[in-house]
Amino acid sequence: MKRQLALLDFAMGSLRRRAGKSLALVAGLAFVVGLFGSALLLTDALKREYERGTEAMPDLTVQRLVAGRPSLIDAAAADALRDIPTVREVRPRVWGYFFFRAIEANVTIVGVDAARIDGDPGLATGRLPRAAGEVAIGTALGELLGLRVGDELGLPVDGEMTFSRVVGTFGAGSALRSADLVIATPAHARTLLGVPEGAATDLAIDLTTADEAPVVSARIAERLEGARVLDKRLLRRTYELTFDTRGGLLAALLVPALAAFLLLAWERLTGLGAAERQEIGVLKAVGWGTADVLAARIWESAAIAVSGAVLGLVAAYLYVFWAGAPGLANALLGWSAIQPPMELAPSLDPVQAFAILGAVVVPFVAVSVVPAWRAAMIDPDRAMRGAS
Amino acid sequence: MSADGGEARDDAADAPAIAAEGLRKRYVDGSRRIDAVADVTLTVPRGQLWVLRGPSGSGKTTLLGMLGGMLVPSRGSVALMGDDVTHLRDHHRTEVRRHRVGFVFQELSLVSRMSVRENVLLPLVPLGGATKAHERRAEALLERFGIGDRADSPVESLSGGQRQRAALARGLVLDPPLVLLDEPTAHLDTDNALEVVALLAELRDDGRTVIAATHDPRLADDARVDRVIRMRDGRVEEA
Repeated sequence: MKRQLALLDFAMGSLRRRAGKSLALVAGLAFVVGLFGSALLLTDALKREYERGTEAMPDLTVQRLVAGRPSLIDAAAADALRDIPTVREVRPRVWGYFFFRAIEANVTIVGVDAARIDGDPGLATGRLPRAAGEVAIGTALGELLGLRVGDELGLPVDGEMTFSRVVGTFGAGSALRSADLVIATPAHARTLLGVPEGAATDLAIDLTTADEAPVVSARIAERLEGARVLDKRLLRRTYELTFDTRGGLLAALLVPALAAFLLLAWERLTGLGAAERQEIGVLKAVGWGTADVLAARIWESAAIAVSGAVLGLVAAYLYVFWAGAPGLANALLGWSAIQPPMELAPSLDPVQAFAILGAVVVPFVAVSVVPAWRAAMIDPDRAMRGAS
Repeated sequence: MSADGGEARDDAADAPAIAAEGLRKRYVDGSRRIDAVADVTLTVPRGQLWVLRGPSGSGKTTLLGMLGGMLVPSRGSVALMGDDVTHLRDHHRTEVRRHRVGFVFQELSLVSRMSVRENVLLPLVPLGGATKAHERRAEALLERFGIGDRADSPVESLSGGQRQRAALARGLVLDPPLVLLDEPTAHLDTDNALEVVALLAELRDDGRTVIAATHDPRLADDARVDRVIRMRDGRVEEA
C-alpha cells in the first residue's frame, strides 16, 4: 500500500512535469466520452420519458377510423365492450390537438375527471381543474406564454375567444408528457375541442389481465366495425425499438471518433519520446524494477483516463440535462420536434456510467502500458541512451 | 540470498566486492555479431578505488553495467559480495542492485523538471517513499557534496559539476557498499573534476568499493586510485 502510494505520488508528479501532453490527452478523452455519453444519456432519458408516458396509458385504446384517419367515436360504444372477459373498465376520453398560433405549435388538450385521479397527479403548483372554465397547463407552456396560476388562457373556439383560468401547472418530472399539455374537465375539453356530447376521441380500456390484450383486441375488432385497437405493450416496444435504433445509430456514427482518438493516443503513447525512455532507464538504473515502472505508468494513464472520462460524463450530463442537448436531440427525435421545448428529467444510470468509464479507462491504460513495458524490459543502459 | 540483500551481505563478509568470471556481452545487429566485452575476469576486493580506463567504444560502460548487475552477460558470471547475480530473475537482481550498488552515470541520468532533492530520493519510491531518516541522509549528502543550498532547485539550473555531485548523492542515498560510476569527470573543468576525484577517494576511505569507468587522465592517473584496468576492443589489455 505504502509502495503504491509512493508510486502514485511519483506518477502525479510525472503528469505535472508533462502537463501539456497530459492535458491534451485528458481534453481529447473528455471530448470523445462527452459525445458518447451525450448520445447514451439522451437516448436513455427519452426512453424513460416514453416509458412513463406509456405507463399512464390504458392497456388498450380503441379509435374509430374513417377513411383511414382517426375520427370521433360514439361514447355509447363503450357499453358493447364491457362484457368482454377480462375487461375491467371502459372509459370514453375527450382529448385532441389545438393549433396555437401564438407559439406556432400544437398543444394537447385532455379532458380529465379530477375525482377519478388517485394519488399525486404530478402538479408543480395549484390543483387539477374541477369546473368548466378551469385548466392546468404544462410548466413549459406556461413559461412560453408567461402564464401562472390565476392567469387566464385565451383559446379561439368557433371564432370567439374562450378564456380559461389556470388553476395548476405540471412540473418537469415528465417533460415529454406534460410540456405541451392543457388539462380541463371533460365537459370543458369538449367545448375547447368542439367534441359534441355523446361522442369521444377514443375509448380507454383497462384489463384485469394485461396478457389477454391480443385476444381482447380481436374481440373488439369483431364488435366495432372500423375500429383500430392500440395495444400499450406494442406501443412501448415500438418506442423502445425506435430509440434503441436511433441511439445505436448515433453511437455507431461516433465510433470513428473514438477509434480516431484511440489511434491518436496510441500514436502519442507508443512513440515514447527519447526523454521518457531515458527516464525509464534512469529509474531502472537507480533500483526500480520493471513492475515499479509499469505500476507508475498505470497510475499515470489511469489518472488521465479517469479524469478525461469523468470530465466527459459531467460535460455530457450538463449538455443533455442543462442545455437540452441542442443538435443531438433533433437527431434522436427525428421529424417530430417537440414544442414547447422540453426539459428532460436529469438521471444517470450508475451501471451505464461505470460501463463508459470501463470502456474508456481499460483500453487507454492498456494502450499506454505496452510501450512502457517494452521500454522497461530493455537494459537500463540502452534505455538511457534512447534505444527503443 | 535474501531478497533485500542485507542478510546476504553479512553472510558473505569475506567475499570480494565483485568476482567476475569469463564475462562476455554480445550484441547482434542483423547478421553482425559484436562482442562489446569479451572474456573478462576480474576480482575486486572490498574498500578499493578502481578505474576502468580506455577509449570510447572499448567496452568500459558495458563492463560496468555487467559488474553492477544492470546488464545480463551473454556468457560468464558475476558475484556481488559472494552472491551470483547472473542467473537471478529480474526482480531479484533489482533488489540486489538497489541495496548493494549505487550507480552514477553521465549527466544524462538526472530526471529533468524534478528538483535535486526529488532526484536524490528517487531510489526510495519503490520502497514506499522517503522516511525522515532518508530525507536527513539526502540533506547530509547534498551538504557534503557542496550543493545543499540547491536541494530545491530544478536540475536544469545546475552546472555540470553540480549535476555530477547530485547524481553521486542519489547513488549513495541507500548507503550501498559498492559505487559504480561512468565517466564521472566528463565535461567537468579541472577544479570540478579534481573535486569529484577527491569525493571518490573519500567514499573509498569510508569503506566502500568504488569503480569508475573513464578515459580522463585526471582521474585515471590520480595517485589515490588503487588500480587501473586498461581496456581496448572489449578486452582487458592490462591490469
